Formats: sequence, structure tokens, C-alpha cells
Amino acid sequence: MDVIGQFPLFYFPDYGSAWMMGITGTIHILASHTSVGAAMLFAFLARKAYKENRTDYYPYMKKYGMFLLIFSYVIGSITGPGIWYTATAASPRGISALIHNFVWVWATEWVFFVYEVIGVFILVYFINKIDKKTHLQLTYTFALASVGTLALIIGIISFMMWPGTEAYYTTGSASDAFFGVNTFPHMFLRIGFMIMMSGVIGLLISSSMRKDNAELSYELSKKMGYISLFGGFVTLLSFIWYMGTLPQNAHAVFAFSKDAIIQNRIVLTVAFSLYFALAVFKPKMIHPAMATAMIFVILIGGLWSGEKLRESMRKPYVAGQYMYSNQIISRDVAGKGIKNELPIIAEKGLLALNPFVPKRLKVITTDNKLEAGKLLAKMACSNCHSLEKTGVFRPMKDRLVGMDKEGIKAILYTIGDGGMSYMPALKLPEAEYDAIAEYFASLKY
Amino acid sequence: MDASVLLALRDPAGVPFYPIIFQVLYILTWALHAAFVLLSLGSMGLSIYGATKGQSDSHWKKLTPHLIQTGKISISILIVLGVAPLLFTQVIYDPNWYVANTLSGMWVFIFIYTLVVGYSMYYWYYYANKAQKGGDYIIGIISFAILVFAGILMHNFAVTSIMPEQWMQMYAPNGVVDDSGWTFNVNILRLAFLVSLSIPVVGIFLQNYSRFLSTRDDFDKSYISYTAKLGTNIAIIGLLISAVAFVLWMLKIGYLLNPLSIAIIIGVLVLLYFSKMNKNSYITTLVLVVVALLISGMRELIRFDIMSNLGYSIYDYPVNLEIPTIAMFLLTFVVMGFTGVGYLLSMAWKVGKNEGIFDGTKDALVSKLGKYTLNIMVAWMVIYFGWGIVILFNNTL
Repeated sequence: MDVIGQFPLFYFPDYGSAWMMGITGTIHILASHTSVGAAMLFAFLARKAYKENRTDYYPYMKKYGMFLLIFSYVIGSITGPGIWYTATAASPRGISALIHNFVWVWATEWVFFVYEVIGVFILVYFINKIDKKTHLQLTYTFALASVGTLALIIGIISFMMWPGTEAYYTTGSASDAFFGVNTFPHMFLRIGFMIMMSGVIGLLISSSMRKDNAELSYELSKKMGYISLFGGFVTLLSFIWYMGTLPQNAHAVFAFSKDAIIQNRIVLTVAFSLYFALAVFKPKMIHPAMATAMIFVILIGGLWSGEKLRESMRKPYVAGQYMYSNQIISRDVAGKGIKNELPIIAEKGLLALNPFVPKRLKVITTDNKLEAGKLLAKMACSNCHSLEKTGVFRPMKDRLVGMDKEGIKAILYTIGDGGMSYMPALKLPEAEYDAIAEYFASLKY
Repeated sequence: MDASVLLALRDPAGVPFYPIIFQVLYILTWALHAAFVLLSLGSMGLSIYGATKGQSDSHWKKLTPHLIQTGKISISILIVLGVAPLLFTQVIYDPNWYVANTLSGMWVFIFIYTLVVGYSMYYWYYYANKAQKGGDYIIGIISFAILVFAGILMHNFAVTSIMPEQWMQMYAPNGVVDDSGWTFNVNILRLAFLVSLSIPVVGIFLQNYSRFLSTRDDFDKSYISYTAKLGTNIAIIGLLISAVAFVLWMLKIGYLLNPLSIAIIIGVLVLLYFSKMNKNSYITTLVLVVVALLISGMRELIRFDIMSNLGYSIYDYPVNLEIPTIAMFLLTFVVMGFTGVGYLLSMAWKVGKNEGIFDGTKDALVSKLGKYTLNIMVAWMVIYFGWGIVILFNNTL
């Protein structure tokens, strides 16, 4: 029996299932990046406190640490595996590809996580119970462990974009997959953002300390302003470096919305530069409400759009430029013995090969054509597009508006022939093309 | 679900090391994860009882915040420890894991945010208890209920994953595809047994708590003996309940006379004896760890048998050996992991035993471990960047 290893489909009406991962991912990035940034900031502050005998820094670190426990070690540590879980439901073969390439990298990251989680409780709760030198040493190790988690995850998420060379496809080696051409630019892009985020969150904490110690609050707000400016600068420079290491298909997607993205980045850069400058020159003007608002601006204006862009630029792939978003393997990876599934799908069709398609839909008939077409559309398209007339997430209704069956079929043929670099070159048997086109046409977008 | 389909659902990349290693790591790390799940459940539940007593009882006035703090830290640790078994199970039992998650996709999403809300509320409970304005137990109960619900969802994923013969019926009942992700399955006996273990775990924890604080002058003797006795009573009652639940579960699935099952029953009896005597609770804890490993092994045996009977053996998974990254893991785990966690735990232990400020610089063990941890981490970073640069040069120049 010919079978390809596809799993049951999970589809959330009007949105698709990928948005669940997007929401969880965006929240996680805010929390986790703050966490790593704060770990570096703690090391910096602890050093200053120790060397200059600034005991007044410790209550600030304690307060920041308590905030971090809830923000990063509740929300961040749950949404971390949360991305994994939701990705598993939305894109099981994509995440499986990553797991089977990088299980030991993830396991190594886990060792750092364990250190980080135990470390943060000790760092926060023992700040007044251990001597300053031991505390300083602890903050150094905590910062290194936090950066270690970034160093390990970055190669995996960079591989999701592409390995960048042909080496991985020949050797199948995790090292060749992990250290791709955009791994280091991506790492510095995130380090810059983490430093900036530590300052942005630091401003919330420092500005809320005004009632207790106004002078210290202003001094720290000023410092957070400088730190954020530095982080922002590193982010901008690294972003340019990062963009230069992306594959052709990413640039093709980027070109669609280049003007809007550049405009968005300019607005954000100007707004945040002014905000950080305000912290440096007029720290008294930084208010907790303003600091909170700016965190939400970053979350919605910066992170959500940025992560959406990064996810879009991977299209049509979800991992290593061999796994399509719709869970089909599109090329051989000789080093791992992975075989391209496109030829057999072109010959036998998705319905016949997917083990979870019910028997009554394995062969298309006039009676089941619309139902089979709907299932095929979900299998082939719904990872990136919502299908309904009320669809929200990259909806089909915007792409196939007013088109009849033949027009839709012509688009499917073009995609199948690889005519759109950001769409999967998925060739299907004529009966399956016909069923999909009939289903879309029946919706009368 | 026949063998050809199950085998086709394996990842075509194969596994990067011998499957038995993943299986052993799974058993080990699940036991660790479960230990903190049970401790958090037990301490949280008991803290609610303490919170209802408010300030009226001097012993509970001290004990309740400590239990809340234990629950709070345990949840964080159970989350981080839970990542490891999650990882290893996906490598060797990927058909099970991915099918269960897609069938229950909506529950997967709900699970994450249930946990976020439940744990955030737990912090609220912690602060409300600290403020002593009353009503904290209500927040505690809600938080507890939400977290228990998250646990039930996790149980659903585990149970669904070992029902391969019913997957097709769950996904397409009567041949009509249901992609809504609302599949939900519960195995009451299995769940009852696992949850019941939180009672003896918190009982033995209390024995340890009492023993640990017995050297501190700032805790009076009556409090120490009260918590020890409380721990003993809870451990005994809990072990009896767990033993009954275990026997019923094993009877239902026909594993009661399996050597592993018998070993668990013997382990529980030994635990009962040790708990009742309470001569050295640290040794009781070691026995508990062994029993936890046996229970983890039993879960794995059940899954292994179900899959083997269908023609899916993890030992036949194609292996694509991946030496550099396993070397990285093993070295990091053994060298950095043991030194680093040893450093943190020895410091925590000594701070807990100490009254006033603990001077780590004067403690040979803590200062040495701290220095080694820092140096190992720096060396790790140097190797990481060196390795990356060599690979990049090789592949791009």
C-alpha cells in the first residue's frame, strides 16, 4: 500500500490553525527575549553594584526579578512549550522534521533551561540572603545560561528559514543544518532586541519606583534609556545583515509588502528613539502608564508584524526548504534518506496516499466530489489560507474573488508547475485539481 | 490502524541515536517531571486547607505560606522538566504524539492558556496569602481547579496517543472527517491513580521539611514535630489510597501480575513502612524516586506493548547517527548540568540551613562549584562559536 506519513488535519474555521501558533509565538518572544535581556542586564547591574558598592541597586534588581518571575517564567516558560504544542497540532510534520534533526540540540537547551529556572528563583529570593560576591557570580552564570538558550534555539529557527548551503542535504548533519548562513545574523538581531527589551521593561520598573526613591528611579530610567538605545541600534544593524542572508523566495514575499514594512519600521524606530531619548534626557517624564503602553506597542506593532513577516518569508516551506507548509516533502535529503514526495503525489493523488482519508473519499465520484474537494483544499491550502467566505487569515476569498472553476483551475496548474516561488509546487492528478476547483467555485467568493 | 500506516508515520529522517536511549531518557525525565507535578498538586491542595484556617492556628500560619511557595516553585520546575519527556517521546513515538495532538488540537491550544491563567492566578493566591486580608483560599481554590483541569487535558493527550486502533474512528466517525480538534478521552482509573500519588508525595515532603528545619533555632520544636506527624499521617493515608487505585488500574488492564507491577506494589509497601517509621525521610525520598521510576517504566511498558502488538517497535526505527550534537548534549548534561545544578542546589541547601546572610565565598564547596560553573559556561560559549565558524567556513568558502 502506498502511503505518505501525513497526520489528521486540525483546522480552526475562518482562521486556520497556524494563527494559534502565531499568537502563542508572539507572546513567547516578548517574554523570552525580555528574560534573556534581563539576565544580561542583571549581570551589568550586579557588577556595578558590587564594584561601586551601590547597595541601592539590589531592591531594583529584586523588584525587576519578581516581575520577571511572573512575566517571563510564568508566561514565557508556558508559551515556550506552547509554541511547540500548537505547532504540533498545526504543522505536525514540520515540527517532527525539526525534532528529528535537532533533538540533541533541544536536549542541550533543556539543560540550560533547568539551570535558568532554578537559578532565577535563587537569584531573586536569595538576593538579601547571600553575600554580594556570590550573588555577582550567580548573575554571571545566569546571564550565560540565558544566552546559551538563545544560542541553541537560534540555529533551529534559522534552519526553518533555510540552511543556506547544500551541505546539509548531502550530509544530513545537524551541524550543517544548525550553522546556516543566517544563524549568526539572526542571533545578533535577537540579542539586540533582547537588550532593548530589557531596557523597555526596566523603564516600567524604574518609573514605578518613583514614590520609594525618586533619585534612584531617575538615575535608573536614564540608564535604561541608554541600554535601550544601544539594543535598538544593534537590532537595526543586525536586521540589515540578516536580510542579506535570506533565500530568494523570502525576498519574493518581502517584495510584496516592502513599502509597508519599511514604513512600519521607520515609524517604530522614530517613536522608540524619541521614547529612549526622553528616558535619557527627561527621565522624570517617564511614567509607568507610558512604559506599559510602549510594551504593548512593541508587542503589536513590532513583534506581531515582525513574526508574521518572518513566517511569511519562509513560504512555501516550514522547515529546511524541504518540508512544505502543507506537510509535504518537496525534495530529497540524501544525507538523511528523505525522499521527495511530489512525484508520487502527482501520480496517485493526496486522497489515495494520506492514511487518514476515509475510504469513501479515496476515489472521487460525482457524489462525493464537493466533499473530496473541500478535504483536498484543507489538506493542500489551509495551513496558510482560511477557506471560508468569512475567512480572515490570508483568506482565499481575496485571492479567488469572482473566479469561475476554470479560472481557479488555471491558477492551480500554475502553482503545480512551480510558477509562483512562494507557493508549493504541488502537482496533483487531474481529478483532484478538478475537485478542488469545483469546491472553491461553489463558494462563489 | 495497521502496521504499514504506523510505520509510514515515522519521520523519514530516522532517529539520530539508538531508540533505547530515548526510551530510557523518557522514563527518567518523565519520573522527574511527575515528581514535581505531584508535589505541586499536593502542596497546593494542602495549602488551601491551611489558608482556610487563616491566622487562627499558629502552626498553619507558618506552614501555609511555605506550602504555597513550594507549589509555586514546583510548577515552574515541572514545566521545565516536562520539556524533556515531551522531546524524547516525539522522537520514538512520533505517530502517537502527532496524531493525539492533531485530534485534540483545540484542547492543545486551550491547555496552554489554561496553564497561563492557572499559574498566574497562583501568584495572585501567593500575594493574597501574604497580604493576609482573607479570601485568599478562594483564589487558591480557583487556581487549583484550573491547574487540575490543565492536568486532565494533558492526561487526555497521553491517553489518546495510546488508542491507535480508534484514531480513525475519532478523526472520521462514520467516514465523515472531523477536523475540529475536540477529541477528548479520559481513563478514570489511570488518572485517579496518578493524581492520588500527590497525597503521599506531599506527606513525604512534609517529613523532609520537618527534618530540614529541625536544625534551625528559629523554628520551635512543637512546630517541627507537628509537621513531621502531619507528613506521616498524610503519607500513610495517601499511600493506601494510591495502592488501591493502582491495583484497580492494573486489574482493569490485566497487568497486575506483571513483574513491574509487583515491583511497584512492593515499593509502595516499603514506602509505607519507611513513612510510618519516619527515621530518615531522606532515605524514604530515595525509595520514592525508585518507585516513581518504576511507575514511569510501567506507563512506558503499557505503551510499548500496545504499539508492539500492532507491529510498531521503536527498536526498528531507522537510525541516522548524529555524533556531534549528541556529544554536545552529553558533555553539557554531565559536565555543565551536574556542576551547575549542584552549585545552585548546594547554595540553596546552605542558605536554607543558615540564619542570616550566607557567605558563599567562605564556603569551599559553593565557591568552587560557582567558579567551575562559570568557567564551564565560558568554555561552552567559546566552543560553540568556534564550532559554528568552522562549519560556516567549510560550507561557504
